[in-house]
Amino acid sequence: MARFHPFHAAAVLAVLGVAVFPLYWMFVTSLTPSDQLFADRPQLLPSLAQLPTYIEAWSGTSLRHWLFNSIIVAVGTTALSIVLAILPAYALSRMDFKGKLLFGFALFLTQMLPEAMLVVPLYDIFTKLSLLNTLLGLILANAAFTVPVVTWILKGAIDAVPYEIEEAARIDGCSRIGIVLAVVVPLIAPTLAAAAVIAFFHGWNEYVFAQTFISDDQWRTASVGLASFIGELSTPVHTVMAVGFIYTVPAVVFYLFVQRYVVAGMTSGGVKG
Amino acid sequence: MTRPPSHDAAIAARKTDPSRWLPMVFIAPVTLYLLAFQFYPLLQQFFLSVTSTSLLNPGSSTFVGADNYRELLTDPEFGQSLRVTVVYTVICVVGSIFLGLMAALLLDRPFRGRGLARALVTVPWAAPPVAAALIFTWMYNAQYGLFSRLAQFFGFASGGVNWLDEPSMALPAILITTLWQIFPFSAVVILAALQGVPSELREAAVIDGADRFSVFKAVVWPTIRPTVTLLTLLITVWSLRRFDVIWLMTQGGPLGETNTLVIDLYRRAFVYLDLGKAAAVGVIGLVIAVLVTVVYFWVSQRTEAATGKR
Repeated sequence: MARFHPFHAAAVLAVLGVAVFPLYWMFVTSLTPSDQLFADRPQLLPSLAQLPTYIEAWSGTSLRHWLFNSIIVAVGTTALSIVLAILPAYALSRMDFKGKLLFGFALFLTQMLPEAMLVVPLYDIFTKLSLLNTLLGLILANAAFTVPVVTWILKGAIDAVPYEIEEAARIDGCSRIGIVLAVVVPLIAPTLAAAAVIAFFHGWNEYVFAQTFISDDQWRTASVGLASFIGELSTPVHTVMAVGFIYTVPAVVFYLFVQRYVVAGMTSGGVKG
Repeated sequence: MTRPPSHDAAIAARKTDPSRWLPMVFIAPVTLYLLAFQFYPLLQQFFLSVTSTSLLNPGSSTFVGADNYRELLTDPEFGQSLRVTVVYTVICVVGSIFLGLMAALLLDRPFRGRGLARALVTVPWAAPPVAAALIFTWMYNAQYGLFSRLAQFFGFASGGVNWLDEPSMALPAILITTLWQIFPFSAVVILAALQGVPSELREAAVIDGADRFSVFKAVVWPTIRPTVTLLTLLITVWSLRRFDVIWLMTQGGPLGETNTLVIDLYRRAFVYLDLGKAAAVGVIGLVIAVLVTVVYFWVSQRTEAATGKR
């Protein structure tokens, strides 16, 4: 272990403080009595006597329904993007075909487009297809943005699979699609998991589409439900912060567990291209 | 990305592959999907942009040719949104890469608890943007927010600061929120790149008496430069796309000080109900996106070729 540098330690603590503080503050605010929130001196520590705030946030708001909808949207987005991305990722990595560069470029382009740019025409399409106010509509819209990223990440992983492994299966008479599903997919499982996590987070966090396409409270996702509290004064601040904390912490904890894979996935495919 | 070691074998196999249509089968589903939900909407956007269409009555739209574009060119609000977009994007890129680099260098040196510290620094990146907007909006609250209380405590503003309603403070307030969210990503990616710095070279430089900055310039920077280039492009793209945090915190206000291109587009469509003008903003945004994509594509292909040769 290296020698202890006080300056270095202080700098590391400062960085971590900046990173973690807002979430800590969300937690403290959720556990501060209403009257204290507006007192002259802010309360810097959570008061455990306020824990019932969390029961209130859970049963007194639509949080449960919002979270459920968010899970459906995130899982659906993940499943659809993985299913759609595996074969084109393989094709990009292993096959040569007419229009490959154009196909790759088109995938890149869709990664560059802001969601807000497609909101109006998608709204129109979904009206015609009766997909407004449905979670399926959100899944279809979200996956259109995650599929290209997932494809590039998987392409990067497939690039690293030795070709000889496929060759053996090929000699055994396996079809090309069979090779992809039975040989390649298991080999890239860690990257596949990383790509799935990235797609899941996208679906979990997505706001623009959920805000625009959903008007029934029944189908609201947690991001939109939480956003409806911003700037609104009728709901107590500490309840709002409790809702925000419940929405945030599972995502953060989950991320901390899978962080290593996500970073590997992003750097092998998403970032490097 | 390195090519598969037996790339030649792959090419040979492909030449004997009887089914030249197989790749087409592989890319067909995703192509159809993206045509339906990305490219067809883009085309529709283009058609909308040459019409005058109201969200209240999308059925009755009239063809107006290039009028929407002409009017945008002389619209001060649109001009402002372009300026805000540039300022926002440049500060996001420079700020997050600088902060990310500093954090990465700090977390690269060995110390006890380094793994935990590296995980914790990514917390903002993992937090949902809507939650970030919520907590920062509360911290920016004019009377009871923590930032206002701090300002009062240090005697800057006795009456509190109206961060998000004050034209000169709103963009910095948004930028602080954004930088908090994205600097961890730069840090983590740069940390990964730092693994590639040859430690022998670094040690040799230190033995030769090089100071820390010279070591950084001569050994560390050349190794991480391709990563920083791609980070620059990636964060540029993300900044051009960012909607949620800005919309939730200021809706583009006050006085358009945080009105980026995508916010402008959304406002025109859903606040002013002017779909034609909004679509025209979208098409201009598309042109910018295509330009950035060309650069991104070109640079990443070049990086791929360069790292492949190494």
